[in-house]
Order: sequence, then structure tokens, then C-alpha cells
Amino acid sequence: MRPRSFDRALRVALTLGAIVCVSAPMVAQRKPRLVAGCPSTPAAFHTCALEKAKTFTPPRTADGQPNLQGIYEAPMGGALGGNNSTVVDPPGGVIPYQPWAREQKTENVEKYIDPYTHCLPITAPRIMLSPRTRQIQQYPGYITIINESGGHPFRVVYMDGRPHLPPDIKLWRGDSRGRWDGNTLVIETANLSGMHWYGAGGDFFSDAMKLTERLTMIDANTIHYAATIDDPKVATRPWTMALALERNMDKGYEWMEEGCFESDRDTEDLLLTGFKMYPGPRFPK
Amino acid sequence: MNSASWNIQDHAAEKGVPAGRGIVEGNEIPYRPEALIKKQENYKNRATADPETKCWMPGVPRIMYMPYPFQIAQGPKQISILFEYTHVVRNIFTEGEHYPGHIDMWMGDSRGRWEGDTLVVDVTHFNDQTWFDRAGNFHSDALHVVERYTPAGPDHIRYEATIEDAKVFTKPWKMSMLLYRHKEENLQLLEYECFALEGGPK
Repeated sequence: MRPRSFDRALRVALTLGAIVCVSAPMVAQRKPRLVAGCPSTPAAFHTCALEKAKTFTPPRTADGQPNLQGIYEAPMGGALGGNNSTVVDPPGGVIPYQPWAREQKTENVEKYIDPYTHCLPITAPRIMLSPRTRQIQQYPGYITIINESGGHPFRVVYMDGRPHLPPDIKLWRGDSRGRWDGNTLVIETANLSGMHWYGAGGDFFSDAMKLTERLTMIDANTIHYAATIDDPKVATRPWTMALALERNMDKGYEWMEEGCFESDRDTEDLLLTGFKMYPGPRFPK
Repeated sequence: MNSASWNIQDHAAEKGVPAGRGIVEGNEIPYRPEALIKKQENYKNRATADPETKCWMPGVPRIMYMPYPFQIAQGPKQISILFEYTHVVRNIFTEGEHYPGHIDMWMGDSRGRWEGDTLVVDVTHFNDQTWFDRAGNFHSDALHVVERYTPAGPDHIRYEATIEDAKVFTKPWKMSMLLYRHKEENLQLLEYECFALEGGPK
């Protein structure tokens, strides 16, 4: 007996929802909420958080690193357009696609199933803003980030200065190296397979994508997360998304196993709808 | 570092299968009579019936002796074991108790405690969908595993797993093997995304 997971249903719903709602304007209905004293819309939060980071002194681990450890949620979500867009640069909140890539984004939702719906492993930045939680743990020489949903894709971020893998080793979850810039954890990720999306809306990247994430505590329970994406094959310029990672406050919270692919039993039905597996970017000749 | 993922008992080589000494203490597995028949059927059909060929999470203890590296990330209240094989994660909590009732999980619910230098992990809440090896050795959802991780030198761990499953075996039995630390300077976990390598859903 394999109970179908809630997350699985959610992923399918998100995919289908994206298909239905792709041209509907996003309507903000949230009550105003403050996060670490900052507005809870990503662009305003980003500006405010950059100021907060200048004055907040984070707790330290026993070996003196800023202590980011914990389980975090990302209720600001992962919109890549509209009023609550997490895209904070360029202003206007839209990914600066090259013209062909803008067309492909539209085509993606018309023709293809979000790779996440098939449980293909997601990576940053999507693992930082997907539903449910992610856990950050710090160890001597490396940091782990384990995502709760999507079958627990994890990243090991090496902090010991080792070089990136050679470019011909491509990974679904990329190859991450971290360092401290003051109180900010800077993670650089490369070697991505480029076969996945940023979200259910068809926004995509290539294998040339280089990701620079900056994580800074701005109060005891909030991380300012900013991810700059440099993908010269797809975008006209680097762009940045930002949001808050908010500590899960449930006492003794533990996540349970999610067999994502293991319970993925209706893929064939999904393919019968006429949608296809995402084949990756189709670069102009 | 052993060939137990193909067969946990003593076995000669076959095409694509290295020979190996077993990891089962005494080499015999105390199957109930009807379970032994099931095991023999499994063996005959192993090329397609082994759940590992379906890319599912391979269960405990099998994942500990598959030919893919794993990383033990040790914190004060939680020990996470991160596996290269299909990004499986085992969280061993050294606080808290097993969930009540019965929950089916691929990798079970792991609760650890220290006995001197030995990490003892009690694992319950399994499903009946995984095997111990390619040779068809199997269990039911009544499986209960007690693992013991004992340092055997700076780069070795003595790993023991006691297997209890009254639906399948007449008495508990035990596996024992060494785990070897990787010493390659450039080693890091890469990926074996089994399902993606198959080209996704057919």
C-alpha cells in the first residue's frame, strides 16, 4: 500500500493550475504582513532587508561561523512576475529573457509537463522557495541544505575552498561552493544539467547558468535570501530574485519521508493529456 | 566495498556480479518455509523483480552496502546520511521516539542512541516493497532493524544490522561488515539519479 502523497497532488495541481492561469493577472489578497519588520512583498522586503543586515549581529556556531542552522519556510512563494514577483532586479519583476527564450517559456507551459511533476530533482533557487520546508545544517568544511518536498533533494555546499568540478560533469542539483562574506553565506553553483525549470510557469535555464546565492540573517528567525542568475545563453543580463526564509516555529518539527518518484503512479495519464516531457532548451541555430 | 548488494550470502561470481563472502553471520537466513519458496521465486525473477531495478528507494540496510558513496553529516540531535543513489536522505534523530501506529516508509523511521562509542539505531515503519539484495532476499512490513555503528579505526566503521521480521523469519539474524572511509582528496557526492537516467516516464 503506497499512499499518494499530498505533495504529489500539489505538484500536479500546480502544473495544471499554471496551465489554466498562465494569462490571468495575479491578484494580491494577502493582508499586510511584516517579516522581521519588513514588508512581505519580495521587492520591498529585499530593499528593507539589505538595510537590516547592516545592523543585525547573527548568533555564531561553536567554531565562529554565523549560525544559519534551522528549518525554514518560504511563504513569499516563487512568483516570477506580477505584483508579488520575487524578481527584484531588473525593476518590473520580469526575467530578462532573450526573445527566443521568452517564446520558449510560453511554449513550455503549452506543451510540456513541469519536470518537478515527474519528480526530476529540483535544485536552487527552486528548492529554496518550493512549498514546505528546507533545513540548513553547518558542519566543519561544509553546509547541507535538504529540501522537504520533491523527494528530499539535498545540496552539500563545500566551504573548504576546493575548485568546482570539471565542466563536463553535469548535475541536476549542480555543484555548490560556499564562502563567508562578512555575515553573509555566499553560495556559487555551476555544472547544472539545465533540464529543469524555476517554477511551474515554464521559466527555464540552460546548462550555462551560474547561480550566486546570498543568505544573511536579518533577525533571529529570518534569512534574507537573494539569488543572482547569470545565464548568458538564455537571458540578456544577470537578474536577481529575493525573498525571506522564515524559521519554522513548530516545536520538535521533523519532516517525514516523501517517496516522490516512488508514488509517481499517474505519469502515463498525464502524458495522455497531450503534454510531453520537457526536452530542455532549444537554442536558436 | 563488498558485493552484498548482489547477494548478502556467500556467492561465486556470475556475469556482471563479483564473487563475495557473505555478510550474514553464519551465512544461513532462517526463513519460514513459505517465505523460502518466495525467496527462491524472487531469485529466479531477480533481473526484473528486484525493486532496485525500478529506481525506488532501496531500504535499510541495503542502501548501506550498495556501490555508491554516502556522507554522514553528524549534528548533536540529528545525524543525516546523504546518499549519492537517487539523493536518498536518512535522518537519524537522537531525540524523540518512533511515530505511533504503523506508517509505511521506504527507508523507515530511524531513532538513534549512543552506547559508549557505538551509535545504535532502531529502525521501524518499513513497507514491504524492498529487498536486501539482488538475489531475492526479502522482508515484510513487519521488518525491524537495529543497526550498530562502531568505530574500528580512524577510517573504518564496524556496521552490524540485526534483522527481525516474524512474518518472514523464524528468529532474528544479523549482518556484519566494515564500512571504509573514502580517502580520495577530490571525492564528493555526485549523482546517480536513477529515474532520470532512464529517460523519465515511458
